[in-house]
Amino acid sequence: MFHLSTSRRSKFVSTVVLLLLATPGWTRVLLRWTQPAIPTAASLGVSDLVIPIDAEALIKSAHGQGYRVYAEVPIAKVSTRSSASPTNDLAGIILDPGDGSPTRIDEALRALRSSYPGLPVAVLDARAKQPQMKGQLVIKRDGILQVTSPTAQPWIDSNLALVRLDQAFRPEQTPLYEFRWDLSDSLQQEQGPDAADYLLAVAEAAAFHSDLVLDLHPKLEAGMLQHDAAAWSVMNKIKPYLAFSSEAARDAHEPVANVGVITDSFRDSYEPVNLLARHNIPFLVLTTSDVKPHSLDGFDLLVIFTTADGRTNEQTITAITDFANRGGTAVLVGARGAYPWQSSPPTPSGQHAVSYISGKGRIIELAEPVTDPETFAQDIRRLLDKADNANAPGQDAAPISLWNALTTVAVPYRVSAGGEEVIELVNYAQEALRVQVKVKGSFTSIRYETPEKGCCEPLTPVLREGFTEFVVPSLYIAGRVHLAGGKAPLKAEGK
Amino acid sequence: MRWNNLLIGGVTFVVAIAAAQAPASFVHRKKYVMGTVFEIVAYGESPAQTSDAIDQAFQEIVRLDNVMSDYKSGSDLSRLNRSASLQPQPVPPDLYRVIAEALFYARLSGGKFDVTVGPLVDLWKAVLRGERAPAPAEEARLRGCVGYQNVELLPPDRIRFRSPCFRIDLGGIGKGYALDRAADVLRSRGISCALLNAGGSSIYAMGAPPGQAGWLVHLRDPSNRIDPQVTLSDSSISTSEQTPPSLLSRESAGHIIDPGTGMPLQTQFAVSSVAKTATASDALSTTLLLLGPVRGAELVNSVGGVAAVWVSAGGQSKLASSGPRIVLPALAHSQPNSGLAGNLASQSGVTPR
Repeated sequence: MFHLSTSRRSKFVSTVVLLLLATPGWTRVLLRWTQPAIPTAASLGVSDLVIPIDAEALIKSAHGQGYRVYAEVPIAKVSTRSSASPTNDLAGIILDPGDGSPTRIDEALRALRSSYPGLPVAVLDARAKQPQMKGQLVIKRDGILQVTSPTAQPWIDSNLALVRLDQAFRPEQTPLYEFRWDLSDSLQQEQGPDAADYLLAVAEAAAFHSDLVLDLHPKLEAGMLQHDAAAWSVMNKIKPYLAFSSEAARDAHEPVANVGVITDSFRDSYEPVNLLARHNIPFLVLTTSDVKPHSLDGFDLLVIFTTADGRTNEQTITAITDFANRGGTAVLVGARGAYPWQSSPPTPSGQHAVSYISGKGRIIELAEPVTDPETFAQDIRRLLDKADNANAPGQDAAPISLWNALTTVAVPYRVSAGGEEVIELVNYAQEALRVQVKVKGSFTSIRYETPEKGCCEPLTPVLREGFTEFVVPSLYIAGRVHLAGGKAPLKAEGK
Repeated sequence: MRWNNLLIGGVTFVVAIAAAQAPASFVHRKKYVMGTVFEIVAYGESPAQTSDAIDQAFQEIVRLDNVMSDYKSGSDLSRLNRSASLQPQPVPPDLYRVIAEALFYARLSGGKFDVTVGPLVDLWKAVLRGERAPAPAEEARLRGCVGYQNVELLPPDRIRFRSPCFRIDLGGIGKGYALDRAADVLRSRGISCALLNAGGSSIYAMGAPPGQAGWLVHLRDPSNRIDPQVTLSDSSISTSEQTPPSLLSRESAGHIIDPGTGMPLQTQFAVSSVAKTATASDALSTTLLLLGPVRGAELVNSVGGVAAVWVSAGGQSKLASSGPRIVLPALAHSQPNSGLAGNLASQSGVTPR
């Protein structure tokens, strides 16, 4: 959350809003349909389908039934397809990049935009994981089971890190991803994912304000076409979640984040960022080209991933120095070489880390890549805690904290109009949980909505030391908290 | 309250299970309970029946959580902690049994394993989270609240504390006990082949996968060089390891407290212990971590049917066994026959490869 000067906050917010609102947003769940026929849109409860570009008859049929149809094009087929399918049947094009290089993907995008003028074209990210509460058992296809346990904490597979990185590396579109179902045991292989697995996938995409191409199990698709009651029972459970997800980004929302991650490498930063997400540390990702004067102003803490040679560019170095001088804490990962702040005496700060005072703030250099992302994320959380918050000594800098919620990811958003906030909650354990939440700011009205019970149940706020605390009585998979009637930190201090 | 960012375990290991060559019918389920993820893989006659049996086993774990949790204010343990210093309290059979087992291991370890260390654990957890600095005076006061000798069992079902500031925390044994009881439920439902996993820190293996001698388990190896392994059948493995040190700070506290010093344990080792029951392996892994390889090996030799391996991040390892066989493939050339009862096969100080 922002408790720097108003002007700094405003500039930062402007940057974030420009980054996020400039992206054409679908923010929706698109079903990938594979069967030769399709139930009616009204019965299915969705209006967006993804169909292979070659399935022209199915595309036409779906369009005729009132669906918005997005044609999926493998990158290998892009160059050979100079003539387009009838575009009036399509609402958009989705490029499956496969293993294509960034250059090849950009070429394919240009080709598709040329072939389908006027249609939105988006790149699909296939690196997503099935959202789930993850155990230690990994079941391989050859019958070998493997168990790993990086820590005893409940581990979750979340796509928040992927979404945040995609927002930085492909800012021209809303993140769009797909995942493969992890159907490990014989019961799931026979019957497909549980209904709750579909609900979690839909809830997660909505909470992250991302677009999801969702695969339905072939048995579920076929069952619905055959009017199978069990299949329709599953789909009828999914429908409220689809409706709930469609409301997720109805208003212009911007993520609340006080940690900035600067990176030009998906590979080097993914796991540490994944663990930041896992620990509910609100962050945004910037590339070094995004770093401009004042673009870091709204953050309390920066994590900078250097390039392979342990360096970063001059513009970023200047921005980091300025950030620290004004009271921020910066963590430079994989740092090697000479930096301006090294003129002050170094203080050992961990086995491979040294800390430098820089103006009102400090810069911590970690000499190696992040070898233990879990410990690193906890270190970042501690840096945000009271004792280590150099920006505002004595104040907790964490915008949001959860108790009894080891399986829950919370994503706070600020509603652009007014001093309201929304917190999207996702519980990967898929069973009702009572969650205690502390959020920065003073809010007198708290309303809680869920796909199961709709909107809205009033919750009782407890205001304490600039924070609002409340209890979510029962979070099954998805929940949305509306905070209003008070002062969000950004608006509270005014101009 | 449990902070979302709190590292609870810090224990790790890897298990690989060789299943049948031919596709076999197994069901795999997960459940979040006791602050961690429990998993059960079971083979059965039909997936539906197996799934139902797993559900029953999970229900047993949930029931036991409501007995043994010190986090839930309404649990039987919480009630005991509130009032056992005032007068003897009747407790359910499971709570009496698990506390009796805990006291057995406390005596066996000379107090290194102590379920009354909770007040000190809480203090150091707060330090670990960065919420407070270490406070020697408070630590000294809380050390007076620790000591298993002050827990009095009054058969058949009552317990009394001899100190007013006492509190029992079953974190070092409760998950193991829950695994044993869940295995009992599976057996009662006709399941004879299953693997039960409590958050990665304890595993109980029932029977063996089809066509296999047992469940092959790869144990925690902080060095990534030793790859210790054990084949389990109707036995259990547990692993303990201190919280890894901070990357960005010199101040670092671990979650495993040495009752003797009142301070977080300083050790480079992770230890895995094999025993007949998960209750035993769970209690032993913490005990053996606290004792260290030398005194720990003596303890392993003094009780039958136990094995343990200590592995450090630097590649040092030490193996001890009074029955079960743990193999160290990377050290096979130097490993003595460790499968004999009472044999101590030590590779202490070895730096392989």
